[in-house]
Amino acid sequence: MDMSLRARMRDGDAGAFEALFEEMARPVFSHAFRLTGDWSAAEDVLSLTFLEAWRLRHRIDPDGGSLRPWVLGIATNVARNLRRAARRYADALARMPRGHPIPDFTDDIIGRIDAAEQLAAIRQAYGSLRRQEQEVFALCVWSGLDHAEAAQALGVAVGTVRSRLSRARKKLEKLAAERQQDPGWRQVKGDHRFVREENR
Amino acid sequence: MNEGERAALAGLLPFEAEPRLPDGRHRQLKEFVMSEIRTPVERPRKRLLRPALLAPALALGVAVAVGVPAFFGSGTPAYAVSKNADGTLTITINQAKDPKSLEATLRGMGVNAVVDYIPMGKRCSPQPRSTSFLSREEAQNPADGRPFLIWPPDTDEPGFRIDPAAIKPGQTGVLEFSVSEDEQTAGIWANISNGPVAPCALVDSDEAPLGPPPGWDD
Repeated sequence: MDMSLRARMRDGDAGAFEALFEEMARPVFSHAFRLTGDWSAAEDVLSLTFLEAWRLRHRIDPDGGSLRPWVLGIATNVARNLRRAARRYADALARMPRGHPIPDFTDDIIGRIDAAEQLAAIRQAYGSLRRQEQEVFALCVWSGLDHAEAAQALGVAVGTVRSRLSRARKKLEKLAAERQQDPGWRQVKGDHRFVREENR
Repeated sequence: MNEGERAALAGLLPFEAEPRLPDGRHRQLKEFVMSEIRTPVERPRKRLLRPALLAPALALGVAVAVGVPAFFGSGTPAYAVSKNADGTLTITINQAKDPKSLEATLRGMGVNAVVDYIPMGKRCSPQPRSTSFLSREEAQNPADGRPFLIWPPDTDEPGFRIDPAAIKPGQTGVLEFSVSEDEQTAGIWANISNGPVAPCALVDSDEAPLGPPPGWDD
């Protein structure tokens, strides 16, 4: 993303905004889906993130680097406060075209079913992390931001990003070790439900 | 953060399948977002108001007008309600003057709804007008999940499109239209209430004209 696009976006240039959507819609959707675990919620987060980006465009520093951390930061906030964001844009969301599970996307649906079981196991482990750890993990590991960019996205210190990531890593490593020892019934931490792990 | 560190972390949660929107849906959501940012909150909708636009749509058999249009002086119907082949209704408002006539027409078609026109600088009091509005997920046709308010209308005919089947027995649809000084509709807010809906008393306001204020159900 060049500086002029940043400046044009700040000035309310719809063409620059469209370019930003083209560049960032896919990473925003992936990020939103991983945070929410819900296809429809992720679509809402995607739309609301760009409506928020437009509303907050005056906050863009025209001389900064990539807008990626800024946009992913908005997406993180929207996913965290989806109900609040949905209320702000209730009128717009009422106009948002809803997705239909129509067979135009057959390949994609099959792909999603294949991924569903894998997804469930990952979500269990991911769900054992605290929300702040989840957000840092998603931004740094899955969305590829570095520590400084994640700190910018979340509005926290770089050291905070490092410590959250470190805690997340320790928890996930411990969980992986536990899983190896006990592949049967187990309790998912922080979730008070017993989850059956299938033996394959 | 170096790539080795990232790869080690990624290996702890091996999310291999990248969740990805189908291209068609990507395009649809992009068009929605671009349309929203290009739309001022109070959008004059004059292009929707030319009665001439109605005629070609009818000629194509897209819709059958069954509502009784109310006429004002000039012979132009103040509004019209058309029933589409899929059971949805298209409401066209040419002159936003008498919401209760439109409401009566809708009730005559079996749609239990209240209709109010909100002039610039006003809003309804009280807001929210019901303590039991449905969530967006609930305000939809139970058979096919179509939302109560279908936006954009996706029909050749201009106007506002609703699915009356979203209103279940005992529920009331609420339609609030914001209206500009020249009696043209500028926006719509629609929801469904489980319980009673308070009548709309217009009060002066510099807030958003339609629907409950942000944060009302905190």
